[in-house]
Amino acid sequence: MTTTDPSTRTGVAARAVDASKVYGTGEAVVRALNGITVTFDRRRYTAIMGPSGSGKSTLLHCLAGLDRVSSGRIFLGDVEISAASEKQLTLIRRDSIGFVFQSYNLIPTLTALENITLPMALAGRKPDPAWLDQVIDIVGLRDRLTHRPAELSGGQQQRVAVGRALASRPDVIFADEPTGNLDSRAGSEILTFMRQAVDDLGQTIVMVTHDPNAAGYADRVVFLTDGAIVDELAAPTADTVLDRMKRLGG
Amino acid sequence: MGRVTLQTLRAKKFRLLLTSLAVVLGVAFVSGTFVLTDTLGNVFDSLFVTATRGVDAVVRAREPFSASGPGTADTTRPPTPGSLVGLARSTPGVVAAQGNLLRYALVEGRGGKSIQNQAPAFGAAWYPPRGRVNEALDLVPSWRGARSTQPAGPNDVALDVKSAENGGYRIGDQVHVSFASAPPRTFRLTGVFRFGGSDEGLAGATLAAFTPATAEQELANPGQPPSWDEVDVRAAPGVSEIQVRDRLAAALHQAGVQTRYESITGAQLATEQSGNVKSNLSFFNTFLLIFALVALFVGAFIIYNTFSITVAQRTQELGLLRALGASGRQVMASVAAEAFVVGAFSSILGLALGILLVTPLRGLLSAFGISLPTGPVQIEARTIIVALLVGTGVTLVSSLAPARRASRVSPVAAIRDQALPASSGRRRYWWGAAFCAVGILALFDGLFGNATASQAAVTIGAAAGLVFIGVAMVSPLVARPVVSLLSAPARQFHRVTGTLAEQNAIRNPRRTASTAAALMIGLALVSLIAIFGASTKASFASAIDNQTRADFILSPQKFLPFSPGAAQAVRDGFAAASKQPATVVETRNGEIEVTGVPHAVLGLSSDFQQVADVPVRDFDRAAFARGGVLIWEGVAGTHECGLDQRAVCEPGSTLLVRFPQAGTVPLRVAGVVTNRNALPVSTNYTVSLAGWEQRFPQTLDAFVVIRKPSDVSTAQATRIVDRAAQRFGGIKAENKAQFKASELAQFNQTLGLMYVLLLFAVIIALIGIVNTLALSIHERTREIGLLRAVGMTRVQLRRMIRDEAVIVAVFGSLLGLVIGIGFGGAIVQSLHDQGIALTVPVGQLVVFLILAGLAGLLAGWIPARRAGRLDVLHAIDAE
Ligand SMILES: Nc1ncnc2c1ncn2[C@@H]1O[C@H](COP(=O)(O)OP(=O)(O)OP(=O)(O)O)[C@@H](O)[C@H]1O
Ligand SMILES: [Mg+2]
Repeated sequence: MTTTDPSTRTGVAARAVDASKVYGTGEAVVRALNGITVTFDRRRYTAIMGPSGSGKSTLLHCLAGLDRVSSGRIFLGDVEISAASEKQLTLIRRDSIGFVFQSYNLIPTLTALENITLPMALAGRKPDPAWLDQVIDIVGLRDRLTHRPAELSGGQQQRVAVGRALASRPDVIFADEPTGNLDSRAGSEILTFMRQAVDDLGQTIVMVTHDPNAAGYADRVVFLTDGAIVDELAAPTADTVLDRMKRLGG
Repeated sequence: MGRVTLQTLRAKKFRLLLTSLAVVLGVAFVSGTFVLTDTLGNVFDSLFVTATRGVDAVVRAREPFSASGPGTADTTRPPTPGSLVGLARSTPGVVAAQGNLLRYALVEGRGGKSIQNQAPAFGAAWYPPRGRVNEALDLVPSWRGARSTQPAGPNDVALDVKSAENGGYRIGDQVHVSFASAPPRTFRLTGVFRFGGSDEGLAGATLAAFTPATAEQELANPGQPPSWDEVDVRAAPGVSEIQVRDRLAAALHQAGVQTRYESITGAQLATEQSGNVKSNLSFFNTFLLIFALVALFVGAFIIYNTFSITVAQRTQELGLLRALGASGRQVMASVAAEAFVVGAFSSILGLALGILLVTPLRGLLSAFGISLPTGPVQIEARTIIVALLVGTGVTLVSSLAPARRASRVSPVAAIRDQALPASSGRRRYWWGAAFCAVGILALFDGLFGNATASQAAVTIGAAAGLVFIGVAMVSPLVARPVVSLLSAPARQFHRVTGTLAEQNAIRNPRRTASTAAALMIGLALVSLIAIFGASTKASFASAIDNQTRADFILSPQKFLPFSPGAAQAVRDGFAAASKQPATVVETRNGEIEVTGVPHAVLGLSSDFQQVADVPVRDFDRAAFARGGVLIWEGVAGTHECGLDQRAVCEPGSTLLVRFPQAGTVPLRVAGVVTNRNALPVSTNYTVSLAGWEQRFPQTLDAFVVIRKPSDVSTAQATRIVDRAAQRFGGIKAENKAQFKASELAQFNQTLGLMYVLLLFAVIIALIGIVNTLALSIHERTREIGLLRAVGMTRVQLRRMIRDEAVIVAVFGSLLGLVIGIGFGGAIVQSLHDQGIALTVPVGQLVVFLILAGLAGLLAGWIPARRAGRLDVLHAIDAE
């Protein structure tokens, strides 16, 4: 275990420097990321927005070590993950990154609790019981821990996924449209938990969303178009976000 | 619909290939077996056509009765006296008639080395070219730089090219030859010949040719006037084979001997003799086909499993087809069509592979001591038809159940994202239990009922098949607890990857069970053979240890009986060394007829009780030594005692025995053998060797069991026995411990061959594991992507998949072991009265289990590597 608790540190959690991602060659070339430079601070909740195909998921994948940039550099804290080997990337994902996908987040053969502690089990580590307790309380799943994913509702499954992302106390949690498949009530529950995780547990979250309401939970919104940052908004509310989106779109 | 089928096939080439492989190997085994036996059959056909070249008809003795067992053709045929040569010659339409014979004559290589293999060693007469009837031998005019000629004098011999080469001889060398009764002696090699123009013509046998006079004298049956096997006849130009045969028959009739002698055409003789050899080969064909059948049966499981999985994975697609208006029957037909294409494709590949397999198969058999002659490869229409039918049929039948399930997919499945409901689970288990019950009943009927041996074998085979299917159907019930138990080490050592592997193995118990079933079959048969082998070996060893008091045993080096001169040489050797007599017990095998039923008969020297504990009640040794007969307890007291159908067989009564040569002779019953398994060969009737030569055409010894006189040292006795064995060649001289060891080694060799042949089935089962895992991994692509995304390393992922493979393999093996122990135990139990007691080779079975686990590890390797190479992001996005 590291000596300093990541949640008490301040500074930069993740950053991209002049990052580009190019798919295909010649005529069919697609620039999913076009020289992006962006910084995500610790203990902050950042939302990424933008039209479909603007490169949000690509950025998130590159930041999370699931994909590699074509040029530029990606840092996680002080570590340059764009230079890490495949094996190192896996370990970084396991130990320092939490991830929440839009759907299919859980291993169907494992119980909710086993899913939550999976990254630590893979690392051969015991979870910190006090922290785990706190996480379970936040996502409110104490009475569902022994259930398999098939026995949980979509909202509950996403809560388990958030729980898993939090449980290993990662440096950053990346979430790609975590509420995209949920109704507004279940969605706002998830968003509340994530907000709590930043406020009460000192976590860092970067979240892609299409929903201005969801972005309203964040500390900051970054707007992406054609693989480049086009705008930013601090302390957003649903209304200001919607307003800004209209302006960008129009 | 046809286009849909083809597209599905094309889209999944890897899967198709793996699935086919299961059928390809089975079909290859079947067609390889057929091609091999046809090739051998062809070799023997041409061998016997050559052997009768130039012969238009033959006159020979009739067989008084045909013998009982396989491989006994011609064993009861008496020799043909020389007087019939004259009779044949004076028959109209005959140009020439010559006596012919083919008898035991063992040729040694230079310096005494053995050049014989399993094929027999023959000596024959070779007539001078002028007026010769039989043209089987072609003189090679010069050999290794010297002129080669036909034998002309009493000390001359000619050899077939192969034997001369193997023996390392040159023209003019001295050649040592042993005979059935004449003492062995050396001859001068005057020439070499080819048999039918080819070096391979003799199919591995060795042939020494002498002048007719020498042959008649040296090859003659002991104690008999010189006589021939048959008289070869050449017809005058314009007289057909059939005409000359019929004229000979008329001549025999005129002479009043038509009941004892017959005439047949040369072609008939060739067909008949070749047929005899081929009927011996048919046993061998059946033996191989059984293993091929097992391989196909295992393949059927793989096919069933693959189609079940792919139908389940395509539920949505099939539902869509239904929603678009395809009928259930059309869906079923599309699955069946896929199976047909796979089956036909695999059969063709299998057939081709089978033809290529002939050479390795022959090599394998020769590595296990069964050397077979080579010849041009024979691919008959029958082989092609059987291969195509069997391969396509097995594939179609095994895909029937999955195809039916596919036809029941409802159109709603297209929109509902869920697998097929596990159909009629309960009913399946009841069916499985019923199969097991019927199988076990059939087993007991086969073992303890009163069917003939081959009927019993078929019943037991069917019983095994039923039990295998039944257990495969029921085993999903036990899959969960057993897999949990077996996964304990994986969980312990591999932690979460082990747990995930376990979970994957039991998430679909039916799939796991039927994948495991394939390996189960292999392991069941392997452990059955292990148990049977261990029990037989242990019983044999204890019989040798406890019931035999031999100091030395002479036995054939290559299964072929040898000259009784060896036993006489041992007697003479001891007589020269000691005043006390040695005990030298010869054993021979013959054929007799009692009340019109042929029986195998054992010939023993009358002092056999000196060397073996054979319990005989009311033993009148003197009567036995004079030519009496011992009967087994089981036939004593029955009506099987000749003379009068109602006469009870008991000591002192008379048994009418028909011998091949001496006609029917009343024999005094000189005792009752209470345990026939204590005899060297388990027979109902045992005769002494007195008068054997007059009664049987075959006078060679199968074994000679020796006790030395007490005043001769072991070292000296060993020298005496060794010298006798060496003088006659082809004989192993061993003490009791050596004999036991070499017999057990021979037995182990047979067991080894069976293990290797079963390996085919095991390999197919492993392909099944690879296939199922590959399909499962395909199905779990997203899950694997997710695991990798949250930090599972490649090493961990591969380990997880390999663990699953090992768990499934060990699960199947364990089931197999249980079935194998059950069947093996029951079979051994049924042989209890043959003196075989159950021995369970625990260590060996544990080794099999471990090997199966390792094989599972190997099977998991390929899918594990493929899974490890999956791209994380693609996997997550996969549908
Ligand atoms: N594997 C790929 N090969 C080629 N092009 C790709 C690939 N993945 C993404 N792209 C392209 O890169 C661009 C950015 O894709 P990305 O998935 O990041 O968009 P997004 O902003 O997440 O969109 P959405 O809101 O629809 O999820 C798109 O134009 C997409 O077509
Ligand atoms: Mg996206």
